[in-house]
Amino acid sequence: MEQQHENECRIFTGTSGYSYAEWIDAGFYPKGTHSSNMLPEYARFFTATELNYTWYQMPKAPAVERMRTRVPHTFRFAAKLTRTMTHEIKPESWKSQVTQYRQGISPLIRSGQLLTVLIQLPPYFTRTPEHRSYLAALLDELADLPLAVEFRHDSWACDKVLSELERRKVTLVAVDEPSLPHLFPALDAVTNPDLFYVRFHGRNAKGWRSGNMQKQFDYDYADTELEDWITRLITPMIEKAETGGIFFNNHVRGQAPKNALRLIAMLVKAGKTPTPETGPDLPSGILPGIDPENRSWKAPSST
Amino acid sequence: MESTIIHLNIADFAVAVERCAQPGLKRRPLIIAPPGAARAVVYDMSEEAFQQGVRKGMPLGRATRICRDATVLPPMTQRYELAMRDLIKRTLAYSPRVESGSDDGHLFVDVTGTSRLFGPPVDVAWRLNREMKKDFSLDPVWSVASNKLVAKVATRLVKPVGEYIVGAGEEQSFLSPLPLGLIPGFSPKDLVRFKEFNLTRVSQVRALDAHQLEIVFATRATLIFELVRGVDRSPVLTAHEDQTIQEDYEFADDTNRASVLKQALYLMIERVCRRLRSMSRHSAGMRLILFYTDGIRHDGNLRLHTPTDTDMQMFEACQVLLAKTWKRRTRIRHMRLICTRTTPCQTQMSLFPADPKPARQQGLIAAMDRIRDRFGDNAVMPALALPA
Repeated sequence: MEQQHENECRIFTGTSGYSYAEWIDAGFYPKGTHSSNMLPEYARFFTATELNYTWYQMPKAPAVERMRTRVPHTFRFAAKLTRTMTHEIKPESWKSQVTQYRQGISPLIRSGQLLTVLIQLPPYFTRTPEHRSYLAALLDELADLPLAVEFRHDSWACDKVLSELERRKVTLVAVDEPSLPHLFPALDAVTNPDLFYVRFHGRNAKGWRSGNMQKQFDYDYADTELEDWITRLITPMIEKAETGGIFFNNHVRGQAPKNALRLIAMLVKAGKTPTPETGPDLPSGILPGIDPENRSWKAPSST
Repeated sequence: MESTIIHLNIADFAVAVERCAQPGLKRRPLIIAPPGAARAVVYDMSEEAFQQGVRKGMPLGRATRICRDATVLPPMTQRYELAMRDLIKRTLAYSPRVESGSDDGHLFVDVTGTSRLFGPPVDVAWRLNREMKKDFSLDPVWSVASNKLVAKVATRLVKPVGEYIVGAGEEQSFLSPLPLGLIPGFSPKDLVRFKEFNLTRVSQVRALDAHQLEIVFATRATLIFELVRGVDRSPVLTAHEDQTIQEDYEFADDTNRASVLKQALYLMIERVCRRLRSMSRHSAGMRLILFYTDGIRHDGNLRLHTPTDTDMQMFEACQVLLAKTWKRRTRIRHMRLICTRTTPCQTQMSLFPADPKPARQQGLIAAMDRIRDRFGDNAVMPALALPA
């Protein structure tokens, strides 16, 4: 059964990264899945992923090209900007890093599979004149690419910043994270009508600043929390943007794919899940709440 | 389970350690070489000196002519050993399986199955790099791959700074375009043979099947077949699992007198064999490294056809090894004897009447061990080991 959409917004849903050995134990990947086969397996359930490794290492075009060809052409990638341009910036070399990065992700640009370049800024990147200048220069350098900016410090939560992002048609990432001092708040602001972007990091306040990803992103969203997001933030954003990207970063013990599938089911139920031609092939047991017969978010003919 | 290996490689390790001790040396050309020696050669050099043409093993005089503004420091091997120990200690926080090279700034970390505790391997590699930068002011090149071979090639590619992640299943496509000289495991003879057949890239050798390789490389064909495909089954050996035993001897005065060298060799053998006996193991392979006054080092290997833990038998074999390794007249500063392969003691009795000599030697050694256990190491010693 196909879903009728409320509007034209196409939503790409997925997780932050897909290559996690612990997702085999969690039941998301079948037992014995080799890392090299995880992406095609992942693409059976989701229509997009965030490339985490591009934060650690400058992407290399041949590897990106090989990866791209392993998923349907409708699949999208949100590529994180490499840390040398966000966390470990060297004034003398960041521009050459931009050039290398652009070259690295060029297969995604050519194939039209780049959802956005995700610029995730660190908590210590506060709104100082120096940082503002750098961010402006960085956005200028990357201007011809679809961009999404995630702030981790609340000093950036002001109208001037939103207006400037709007002027540049740069997406402000809406984040769900623990309620801790100075973290950027969850906003439903759509600064780019082409794309809204949501990241669910989990609400593990205790582990957030532990320095260990396994503690920081260990969280399992309750249905009520996801419903609240759909009602308060996602629905208004769907109404304002042509495309949406929703990603779960709480990867520990396979909670991210579990919550992402749950969110998809809720969006389907609410009639807000227009997605491209692929649909979820739900793994047994991972999402007991979903009726396997009701895999109804196949390519909607109305889009 | 798929394995995941992190390789950390601190480029120009000796230089990096010296710069930690003296931050003023940063960004300046630096040469590590024994400055007092007449025919000293370069032991290590900084990237700045390398860019000006200085190379390892180059005569110091020539190196300082090429790079006139270089600071020359003597090699401090003990300092490098201590630094390696600190790095290993730090790395052990992430995995119990850490293998280090011989104080050369290389570390292999097996992080297989640790992601539930510490997160994805790539994040562990990055954190290790960050911690080493912060706490030791060292900036290792790092790589993540499915085995030691591919991880090592990856760090070689990005040296002196950077990182490389080779995704699972990407090994062959990663290695294919590379020159054969970048792949560890080929012997110099293999490389010469490749050149003779005009084979320069991994992809060219990969195009040959096992039979074709066997025609040219005989017994090494299987190894070469696997190397060019990125296959490496060797485990990451921890210091505990690594059954190698090492003994060092530092000469009070640098020497090239054969009798003094033999005496030092015997003393090291005594200690090695005693440790072997305490572990109930025999040695099947020995390595001898000679450190010359001018910074050059030569090493030689020997395979023992009959594994042993007996001082006299080992000494007999190692005299051959010393003769094979000792090729220069330059005085020697330091000797290192490494027992590279140990095997469990042979317990099977011979079918035929045994030669009584080894049994007598073993009886003598057992008696010496008992005396030393009771009265100390110097309570009894062979005449060969007595000071001249």
